[in-house]
Amino acid sequence: MAQIEQSDNGGKKKKGAQKKIAIHVDFTPMVDMNMLLITFFMLCTTMIKSQTLQLALPSNEKVENQNKNQTKASEAITMILDTEYDAKTGEPMINENGSTKHVIYYYEGKPDSATVKQESFLGNAKGEFQGIRKILSDRNKEVLKKYVVLKQEWRDGKITKEEFDKKSRENASDSTLKRPVVIIKPGPNATYEALINAVDEMQINQISRYNIELPNATDSALIAKFKGEAPAPAPAN
Amino acid sequence: MGKVKIKRKSTLIDMTAMSDVTVLLLTFFMLTSTFLAKEPTVVNTPSSVSEEKVPMYNLVTILVSGKDKPGKEGNPATEGKVFISFCGDQDSTYSSEKVRELVLKEAVGMYNKEHPSNQITLTDQEIKTFTSLNMFGVPFAGLKQYLALDQEKRDKFQGNMADPAVGIPINDNKDYDKGLNDFQIWMKAVYFVSMNLRDEQVGNLGVEKGSEEEKQMQNLYNALKRSGQAIAVKADKNTPYSTVQKVFDNLQTMKLNKFTLMTALKSEEEQSAN
Repeated sequence: MAQIEQSDNGGKKKKGAQKKIAIHVDFTPMVDMNMLLITFFMLCTTMIKSQTLQLALPSNEKVENQNKNQTKASEAITMILDTEYDAKTGEPMINENGSTKHVIYYYEGKPDSATVKQESFLGNAKGEFQGIRKILSDRNKEVLKKYVVLKQEWRDGKITKEEFDKKSRENASDSTLKRPVVIIKPGPNATYEALINAVDEMQINQISRYNIELPNATDSALIAKFKGEAPAPAPAN
Repeated sequence: MGKVKIKRKSTLIDMTAMSDVTVLLLTFFMLTSTFLAKEPTVVNTPSSVSEEKVPMYNLVTILVSGKDKPGKEGNPATEGKVFISFCGDQDSTYSSEKVRELVLKEAVGMYNKEHPSNQITLTDQEIKTFTSLNMFGVPFAGLKQYLALDQEKRDKFQGNMADPAVGIPINDNKDYDKGLNDFQIWMKAVYFVSMNLRDEQVGNLGVEKGSEEEKQMQNLYNALKRSGQAIAVKADKNTPYSTVQKVFDNLQTMKLNKFTLMTALKSEEEQSAN
């Protein structure tokens, strides 16, 4: 391929004719250089783009107390996030599966030290929701039931992705269904990841009404009391 | 018996085909690559199940630095430094450079109004330098000095998170109308610029409101106010929430209460079965 052969004159060699040399072009250095360049570009590119998580917070304007939206106690779940730190190194504790150890103290309805429970982000195991995800999905099962149907329709190709997105959004904010209101309160020790995990759970469980607040004195007292009463928390696995 | 003749084969391997392939690959990588924008500090974003991609254009990225080393070894002074980067439209009149220039002028004007005794004036050269910057994080007071440095020194200066002169001040968060801090001035400037772009375009060209053309012109504004996609907060997963919350709080004061958080994609097994 890389050689250029000059044609013979009918195979008959004339005397005194110039010697025909096959011209070879060696492409090896060219390949070497190209490989180097490819390596450079491969290392410099970002193939995976970052994902984003949408967040809407209320504005900081002062709202008159009586105008504040009050959540029905029967619908409310308050999650207080906490992260455990290694006392020696000061780094967040790591679970066996490599994720950071976050603890969620949650109560339903009004703050009451008797109803506080402890959970963690466990994700799924054996196709079942675990940990806090299970609790939230139980509270939002009416929405989730319809969501599963919608998702199946989309997977079967009955509706397009856009329709699915629109319908699941409508479904998540359908006021005729029984839906919880989740108040996420990242505690003083909680890392940024704990918050993202909590907001993620909202997405997974199709909870449209959630708010992020800072814990108040009542919450701190509640947690302190809870921690005092339950010195050995159940190990998360 | 005749001798067995061993044919001498040339060991030359024809590299032409190989070269063809590598050139093709090279072209592919050259065309698809978007270079990693240089950031003053590396942050490890937390992962989430959200599959929305971060927009490439019309984006304001707010980077919140984490500790230089994890745990107790880390210097707490390096945590929570704020950096901003502006990115304009892809290929229109409002490219990144243009948007940066507009925002800078607007922001400096606002700063001078707020601090009449401590005014700053930038030369054309300094403004030009600013438009080529990807990410910056210095208070207004140190901006002139910072822009006077050459690139290498600038990166070095900005890379030193422990320096109190690095990072855009976000403390001292007050009401919207009075006493904005540096970070809030930048955000307000972005908001004003995006609004001006929209109004100017619509006013000058007599484009009908609600038409397709108008929509294209107010990209930044729309992304900023309506969909909240123009502001992306990027922070390390091990940064305490209280640090990141300061940035959120500032944004809330600026009534930019819709924004996005940059995350990595969670592994497949985590999101399955739902």
